[in-house]
Amino acid sequence: MAHTTSGSPTFHEAQQPLPRVREDRRRERLVELHTSFRELFTFFCTHATIHGAIRLVCSSQNRLKTASWGLLFVGALGALYWQFGLLLEQYWRYPVIMTVSVHSEQKLFPAVTLCDMNPHRPRSARHHLQVLDEFAQENIRSLYTFNFSENRDVLFADDRAPQPAFYLDRGIRLQRLGQPGGQNRVGFRLCNSTGGDCFYRAYSSAVTAAREWYRFHYVNILALMPSTREDSHQSHGGHFVFSCRFEGQDCQARHFQTFHHPTYGSCYTFNGVSAAQHPGISHGISLVLKAEQQDHLPLLSMEAGIKVMIHGHDHTPFLEHQGFSIRPGTETTIGIREDEVHRLGSPYGHCTKGVEGVDVQLLYNASYTLQACLVSCFQQLMVETCSCGYYLHPLPSGAEYCSYARHPAWGHCFYRLHRDLGTHRLPCSSRCPRPCRESSYKLSAGTSRWPSSKSADWILAVLDKRSHRSLSQSPSLRSNVAKVNIFYQELNYRTVDETPVYSVPQLLSAMGSLWSLWFGSSVLSVLELLELLLDAVALTLLLGCRWLHRAPGSQPGAATGASHAKPEANQLPTDCRDDTNRLGGPAGLISHGASQSSGGSLC
Amino acid sequence: MAPGEKIKAKIKKNLPVRGPQAPTIKELMRWYCLNTNTHGCRRIVVSRGRLRRLLWILFTLTAVALIFWQCALLVASFYTVSVSIKVHFQKLDFPAVTICNINPYKYSVVRDLLADLEQETRVALKTLYGFPENTSRKRREAESWNSAWEGTRPKFLKLVPLMAFSQDETGEVRDFLTGRKRKFSGRIIHKASDAMDVHTSKEVVGFQLCSNDTSHCALYTFSSGVNAIQEWYKLHYMNIMAQVPLEKKINMSYSAEELLVTCLFDGVSCDARNFTLFHHPMYGNCYTFNNRENETILSTSMGGSEYGLQVILYINEEEYNPFLVSSSGAKVIVHRQDEYPFIEDVGTEIEPAMATSIGMHLTESFKLSEPYSQCTEDGSDVPISNIYSAAYSLQICLHSCFQTKMVEKCGCAQYNQPLPPAANYCNYQQHPNWMYCYYELHQAFVREELGCQAVCREACSFKEWTLTTSLAQWPSVVSEKWLLPILTWDQGQQIKKKLNKTDLAKLLIFYKDLNQRSIMESPANSIEMLLSNFGGQLGLWMSCSVVCVIEIIEVFFIDFFSIIARRQWQKAKEWWARRHAPPGPQGQDNPGLDIDDDPPTFTSALRLPPAPGTQVPGTPPPRYNTLRLERAFSSQLTDTQVPPES
Repeated sequence: MAHTTSGSPTFHEAQQPLPRVREDRRRERLVELHTSFRELFTFFCTHATIHGAIRLVCSSQNRLKTASWGLLFVGALGALYWQFGLLLEQYWRYPVIMTVSVHSEQKLFPAVTLCDMNPHRPRSARHHLQVLDEFAQENIRSLYTFNFSENRDVLFADDRAPQPAFYLDRGIRLQRLGQPGGQNRVGFRLCNSTGGDCFYRAYSSAVTAAREWYRFHYVNILALMPSTREDSHQSHGGHFVFSCRFEGQDCQARHFQTFHHPTYGSCYTFNGVSAAQHPGISHGISLVLKAEQQDHLPLLSMEAGIKVMIHGHDHTPFLEHQGFSIRPGTETTIGIREDEVHRLGSPYGHCTKGVEGVDVQLLYNASYTLQACLVSCFQQLMVETCSCGYYLHPLPSGAEYCSYARHPAWGHCFYRLHRDLGTHRLPCSSRCPRPCRESSYKLSAGTSRWPSSKSADWILAVLDKRSHRSLSQSPSLRSNVAKVNIFYQELNYRTVDETPVYSVPQLLSAMGSLWSLWFGSSVLSVLELLELLLDAVALTLLLGCRWLHRAPGSQPGAATGASHAKPEANQLPTDCRDDTNRLGGPAGLISHGASQSSGGSLC
Repeated sequence: MAPGEKIKAKIKKNLPVRGPQAPTIKELMRWYCLNTNTHGCRRIVVSRGRLRRLLWILFTLTAVALIFWQCALLVASFYTVSVSIKVHFQKLDFPAVTICNINPYKYSVVRDLLADLEQETRVALKTLYGFPENTSRKRREAESWNSAWEGTRPKFLKLVPLMAFSQDETGEVRDFLTGRKRKFSGRIIHKASDAMDVHTSKEVVGFQLCSNDTSHCALYTFSSGVNAIQEWYKLHYMNIMAQVPLEKKINMSYSAEELLVTCLFDGVSCDARNFTLFHHPMYGNCYTFNNRENETILSTSMGGSEYGLQVILYINEEEYNPFLVSSSGAKVIVHRQDEYPFIEDVGTEIEPAMATSIGMHLTESFKLSEPYSQCTEDGSDVPISNIYSAAYSLQICLHSCFQTKMVEKCGCAQYNQPLPPAANYCNYQQHPNWMYCYYELHQAFVREELGCQAVCREACSFKEWTLTTSLAQWPSVVSEKWLLPILTWDQGQQIKKKLNKTDLAKLLIFYKDLNQRSIMESPANSIEMLLSNFGGQLGLWMSCSVVCVIEIIEVFFIDFFSIIARRQWQKAKEWWARRHAPPGPQGQDNPGLDIDDDPPTFTSALRLPPAPGTQVPGTPPPRYNTLRLERAFSSQLTDTQVPPES
């Protein structure tokens, strides 16, 4: 093929003069151009495969026939494109259907996070918290003339003496807010840095008000402390998990992660199991827990019990958003049922497969969850607007935690921002897409008394021995321990999948059906039309060019004379060839080949 | 006449060339391409210019490839299901509700059987934890046991000794019975060194199980003494209870009248006769409501807690076995009437002195079986025999599989599950070392080495009741004053004591609403849909139809091979003729004598003299026509060629 394309002139000249010899198959050129439009048209009419078009264009005897065929043709074409439009409109809306399917494969046991709801006093902040406690007492006394004394003060009396002074904003105190409606409300006042803009955080109950108020000061104090989150639970005096068994075997230390949450106390995350698990209580996790009601911070944590949260592996547990409590003195059996949601993602919807592609930098060192994204987004906005980070959320790099010692007006700023988040005025919900794969855990629980009165004595004695602490000395023995069993309830789990209504093969099939129905042609027919078009363009250029060139010579019938077309095409001047060469795309290719083969013979 | 007509006429003239008569495959192809209705192929033949032809060949092949690809995709997605969720609002059948006391047998009755075991457990507790020294009463009892100890030989501790051993020196075991240390030479199953409970004592409790020849031993250790004692107790308990006949066990457990203090269903009073007995090995007598044979299944007319089942249960904590069960309350399971209640696996617990409300929501699921999924309709095609007298479920299959394997490997059946035919429960009179075998087998089962998980398949249809539990203090301080005396008076025959608040539990089970959610799978594709999609694909790319597919089969498979066969036949004939001819007067230079049967053809007439090696045309008449056909085109070509010469 290459040698023909290069078109050695001598070779062609040698061939052309031979007049009457049958054209050899080998001698067939790369692309042969029709000599006239008429011939081109005739060829097309003979070999076209489009049904209506042939009748319209190629039968020219009867006008009525032509008109009726034309109408039919236009009608069919219109109907076809109308239907195409409907079909494609539907397709480009990317509709999805949710399909629920039931599977029975074994599932990974989810991660379980347990917190003892009993935050302890960090050693470094002990003095500060004591000052705060005194201030709290003073506040409550001034409101209710009620004196609540903490026996803890006696405990830490010795290390009370030489402590560095620190800044406790005594301006922020609990106040009784008289309302015109007559309802008494309790709250505290927060102002911005200039003091011009102030608002009250008001609560109808003094209990919530005191807790919120205490927490605000507590966060301020902790923010000033060097970060001791990791090691602090060691000083706390040990674990609150007496025993842990998974699938009838002792849990291993590596299955557990521990951390200390400022408001939820010591937390354990059981995360170690990577193998698929079976349903049933005997295959679940069983824990005996210490649920001590000796509060270290009585104003902060008011509940006794264990907070449990079940979440996916590698997900950050947000105990403040989910999780439920376990009552002391009971055995709680929690059955898990898992539902999975798979989303298709773009173009069918908005979801993310991971951290990539989300314009919020995730502050948690865990896999993507919507909650983690929202918190990260909030913290970043907080750093932007208040120039410091909220203590209970992780810190972005280069920022510091808020404390009124450093940022006097942060509370005002924080509560404003938090309200905006609540009323969806922050862009966070739009910046955080849902994850494409989500698991939700449905829990159903049952409780029984544990330990039973008959077995309590030996069980508590044995546990006592293990912990080296006296459980049985407190008045109600049972209220210090709790047992939790968490297991998979079902062999079956459901997945909700988004599936596209139209898959590409189905769309093509539908289009093909329509096309065949209305028009009786195919993709190849379109290519035929395209070929016709290209041929026509090439021919027009060729003839037009030659006509321009020969205009002074006034050759009669140059364009129409079918018999004269070929030699004249062969005698194309070189500038014509340049003309045709400038055509882009396949048209350029074909006409290029055509002009080369014909022009070559000239040179 | 228009040139198109002329060509048409020529083509018509050429039509007599039929597929099988075409002399060569090339001619056949040519003929096919000119006459077929399929788009693209014709263009290959009629196009002029090699590049054009090549392009058309490429286009056509691409279209064919696309058709195959897309149709393959359609076929691949044929066995998908579409799921429809229907919510019916109707009168719902109430499920069967099985209620068990957590404690299996009245301790006062079983105590005779378990006295030795209890005594030894107490001794173990004392030795390991110094437990009974807490109170003076206990100490006295313990002393009396200790004195009793001197006389009898310990039976259970000897069989499966409880041991405490320190973590530092693995291999060193302190047998608390003898008090002396001894070398432990066995496999430690649970590595205690990296157990999570690292903060306290270095001692870990466990027990040792050995196989029949006692060369293989496994040490099971527990980081918590509570678990160790309970597991150890349970082992012996099962051994003892395995030898007790069923009737005796039923008598030892609670009667329906005893367990159910009051009963109310759908606003109508009910009693013990509405419950059927179901004996569970580990939970004793359980009672199933709404499961009576030869009776219609009860249904609720309304949703809400007023119209469900309301029972007050007598828990009787006094009769609890202190070592076997550590919690007190009852267990409830909601299941289908023909389903086996796996109370130990998925039961919901009920707390005494509380009112537990359980709201139900019914979901039915129907799956399509083969070839859409692997589920089984009734378990008859699963190679595991169902040892339960209940409908097939995956859970039943797994348990049956394990129990069958247990009988196979250990020679006896595990106490928790029903007995397979011709087997009996394990006890160490007959099977001294079944426990080691069981533990090993259970480990293998969990690791999926037994193949049960691979063999068992899920059931195609199942009902599930989603339960929502809520708790309330019951009875309230005020109502307690009148409620407890009345109930005590009511139960005078059954319970010979004053009822306490913690002896009772109230249970309400009801439909939250009468909505039934059905998740039904149906085939997403029917064969008509598939065919119409095929038609669409064929039409889209090539404007092809079934007829053209048949045509292709005819031409490409039948004619093609018939031409090849004919040519081979002729070749063979020629070869035969040449092989036999040489001796005779062979006129090799005379082509007219070549084939006697065939009349002289135009070609043979023209080709005088033919080259010696040329192929002799097979069927001359088509050759004629094809020649003419060629001329039709060459004449057309000459039209274009003529002018330069003129």
